Amino acid sequence: MKMKSPKAMIPGLYLTLFFAYLFGPLIIMVITAFNSSNFPRVSPWECFTTDWFGKLVADDALIEGIGNSLIIGIGVVVVAIPIGLAAAIMLSQVGPKLRASLYTIFIAPILVPGVVIGLSTLIFWDRIGTFFNAPYESFFYDGTFLTIFGQVTFIAAYSMLVFLSRIQRFDHTLTEAALDMGATPTQAFVKVLLPFMAPAIGSATVLAFLASLENYNTTVFTIVSSSTFTTVLSSKVRYGLDPSISAVAVIIISITLIGAIIFEVRNRYNSKGWALVIAERPALKVATHPGTVAGILGVLAIGAVLFIQNYDSNACTAQILEEKRALQQQLMEQQSLDTPTPTQSAPSSTVPSMPSLGPLGGDEGGNEGGDENGAGSDSSAPASNPFGGANGIFAPQNLRGSEGN
Amino acid sequence: MRDLFYDLVRRNGMAVAIYLMLAVSVWVFLLIILPQLTMLDYSFRFNLPPAKIGGPEDVYTIEQFKYFFQGGGSSGGFNALDIGILFKTLFSAVFVTVFDLIICYPVAFILAKSSSGAKARLLVLALIVPYWINEILRAFAFRILFGSTGVINEVGMGLGLFDSPIDFIREDVALYAGLAYAYILLMIFPLYNAIESLDSNQIEAAQDMGASWWQVHAKVVIPYAKPGIASGMTMVFMLTSGALAAPQILGGPSNLWFTQLVYQWFNSGGNWPRGSAYAMILLLVCITLVLLTMRIFKVSIGEIKR
Repeated sequence: MKMKSPKAMIPGLYLTLFFAYLFGPLIIMVITAFNSSNFPRVSPWECFTTDWFGKLVADDALIEGIGNSLIIGIGVVVVAIPIGLAAAIMLSQVGPKLRASLYTIFIAPILVPGVVIGLSTLIFWDRIGTFFNAPYESFFYDGTFLTIFGQVTFIAAYSMLVFLSRIQRFDHTLTEAALDMGATPTQAFVKVLLPFMAPAIGSATVLAFLASLENYNTTVFTIVSSSTFTTVLSSKVRYGLDPSISAVAVIIISITLIGAIIFEVRNRYNSKGWALVIAERPALKVATHPGTVAGILGVLAIGAVLFIQNYDSNACTAQILEEKRALQQQLMEQQSLDTPTPTQSAPSSTVPSMPSLGPLGGDEGGNEGGDENGAGSDSSAPASNPFGGANGIFAPQNLRGSEGN
Repeated sequence: MRDLFYDLVRRNGMAVAIYLMLAVSVWVFLLIILPQLTMLDYSFRFNLPPAKIGGPEDVYTIEQFKYFFQGGGSSGGFNALDIGILFKTLFSAVFVTVFDLIICYPVAFILAKSSSGAKARLLVLALIVPYWINEILRAFAFRILFGSTGVINEVGMGLGLFDSPIDFIREDVALYAGLAYAYILLMIFPLYNAIESLDSNQIEAAQDMGASWWQVHAKVVIPYAKPGIASGMTMVFMLTSGALAAPQILGGPSNLWFTQLVYQWFNSGGNWPRGSAYAMILLLVCITLVLLTMRIFKVSIGEIKR
């Protein structure tokens, strides 16, 4: 028994590590959204703040991008779902040889890099537009239309796969029965096959919408001069790292989690085992109803929004600012005492890209590493002892130097 | 095609058959084939101002492809920069794919064979949740994680592993970790589907006959799951080599991904034919590589699915 237990723990341990890789980065990103530091980071922790969310709401470009993304998402669903459904039905009705070659064509857009799909769509419609001598305001050059076309190319393939896995379980004798009872083939299609496909239409719609919302590679080419949620986000990230991007992530992760929880609760509620458990417990039945859970989550979400709107971290941020100023003052005095002549060159010799107000970032000294840092700066740290006391000072300016650009 | 249409009419009636044919034709021709052909056509043309398009100078040329191999200089040159970027992209994509396979195989196996019912469903849900977070936000998370004041550097220095912050961005560690992270799900699900359909009795039989755990995997599970492994690897490889967001956000300053070259020719370069040619090169090289690998491992493309 004792010999066995460590070995039996390996799968669990591995899964734990794996999920740490999966969730760790997301958790850290979420934490950074609540740190008042101007750069998204966990340590040094300055103040708990919700200001980044406010900054988000005020960001017009982002709001406009989200609006465009929603329009595009709806457009993609409207076009891609009928195409995917038609492709799946056709595959289920043709002979094996034709099916194999059709399947290869249908699956190809998933494997073709999104970049290639994006630019081929752009070029193609540009050609068509030129051919018809269309003016530049026409839809051949319109980012929204082009993006819908570009995204449908591969999202139709996703939805086809969803439909295909459903249609494989379709009992074709049902259609035959309908035909025997005098239904026309069209009636059989509308009254038998379509209702059978209904759940798959639902899940394919969700999948297509989300895939459209999060697509970047294709969109960045086809969007032309317009913008979507992802293109705005990407330019924000490349322009400069900013905790308000983490705040976007918090919102998206929350929505995803709420969706996942409701989905799981619904599955569990509808399972047979649970139906037996709640059969004679009405209170439990109400409590575990997906609607109830959704309601509770909704209230929690509203509570979170209200909290974010009303929380005020000004006092704390002001104090942090004050501490930084005091520290900078202290450092500058020390510098002028220790190395009177080359005041400016001493620190810049260790880190060339250090801005003159570099020490301002070294707030760690004020919080925790006071002792160590004090000792470090006593011996005129930056020049003579690059690693000893540089720990607190080194880090934040490095961030300005390398990550700012 | 006419036979196909008549067959569909016979099965579904005229109205539905027209819908099926129309929807699939629009997709295949208008969205898939014609744009690709246009791109192919474009890649063999000169970069002309709009006024000259269709004029006498608008002739076919291999100029754009020649540029990829020889660079902008006089003839006989060698475009080491761009070719190097292509090879680096492919090599990195292979590396990321293999890394994903190695870390995902145990997870898929544990999920498929050791857990059941509600627990397995919950684990699958936990796998999907990170996948719905935007690709850009995921890359951003790795940027925070690996930044010079990021958690990894702070912890590493706190533990005394290294003295000064390591520039993970410049070293491309962040890029590889982010890319591997981005497409993990596309590796796990094909593996999971393949392994799940394996009869557990086969594993037990092998164990009864004295196979070690290593032999069980090498001789029973992996050969059986080969189509799943192939489709997972194909998906991850194609998506990684075609990735744009992660290299843009996580790539080092002097380090380009091949898709970024395409993007540059298109946007800042304003040279669509050359961008098309580069996209064609990327597409052809990737497809050749995938088909070659499949030929070597004797898997057919029809077995690929999600």
